[in-house]
Amino acid sequence: MSPTKNPHKEETPDTSKDETKIAETGCLIPQSEPADEDGKINRMIVIGPSANISNNELVRNLHMIEFPLTIKTTCYGAVISGEKEHVYEAIKRIRKLDPYNIFTKDRGFQPGDPRRCRAKRGGAREGFHQLEKEFELLDDVSKALKNPRKVKTKKLEKISPDEFKKIAEKCK
Amino acid sequence: MKVVIFPPNSMILADLVERKGHEPLVMQSQIRKKVNTAEIDSPPLNITEKEPIEGLKYAAIEVPSGVRGRMALFGPLIDDADAAIIMEDAPFGFGCVGCARTNELCMFNIRQRNIPVLEVKYPTSSDETMELVNRINEFLDSLGEENG
Repeated sequence: MSPTKNPHKEETPDTSKDETKIAETGCLIPQSEPADEDGKINRMIVIGPSANISNNELVRNLHMIEFPLTIKTTCYGAVISGEKEHVYEAIKRIRKLDPYNIFTKDRGFQPGDPRRCRAKRGGAREGFHQLEKEFELLDDVSKALKNPRKVKTKKLEKISPDEFKKIAEKCK
Repeated sequence: MKVVIFPPNSMILADLVERKGHEPLVMQSQIRKKVNTAEIDSPPLNITEKEPIEGLKYAAIEVPSGVRGRMALFGPLIDDADAAIIMEDAPFGFGCVGCARTNELCMFNIRQRNIPVLEVKYPTSSDETMELVNRINEFLDSLGEENG
């Protein structure tokens, strides 16, 4: 059975342009559908090498906050996952334990995600090598945070053509 | 202020930005959108043919699809940024920054935006690390002042 059309309603083709989808080149660029905003985020909490607290203490404190969070102990600290506001509040409170030695980082995958978790894949997960490199710097980073110093950040400016000419002549 | 960082997955940069009350624009948030989308088109990571097409906004059609695909993730972060911190010469282990051409294109796009940019080198010694942290903090404080 073919669908019947309403004779009173005239169908007109949609001629309106969606400006957001047209690139400067004039090509129509399809945009991916946005991910479902369920408000859940994941955070890695990394304890610096000279921290006053251990992984166990960190995780115990996270549990004592009593927020509905998924908490996983790791070799560098912990991974937590939950609603945005709970995660941020938990991080705020946890940082107070040792403000200069607790670092946090966003994470895309949930704790224990089989696409990343080393228990399923075998071998270190991809981001671990980077974390290892950054961990080497954390001791100095925490020292710098404890003892801030004034430094001058030079703004790079373009030089004038005359100045450039002088430099070029000097180099001859 | 929204501060885009490069490498976009750096823990130290993101943490320092957050400590100063700004919002770091990081790669992980983009990845989260990809891997948590309910409709999985292309498991396991949900990377489809749409990414290289979206990347056309940032790179020409002749540019390899890998670069365009990466730009589909990096590009929106750069577009949203009010300021930027670039750390050059990061080790290759830095996850998604293994593609040198994408890195160049990202830095080019950041510089083209005419936003306040701090360019630093990846530290190799203790003194350099301390200097780096102080410079970043100074830069982030100056952003707050500019913003009122």
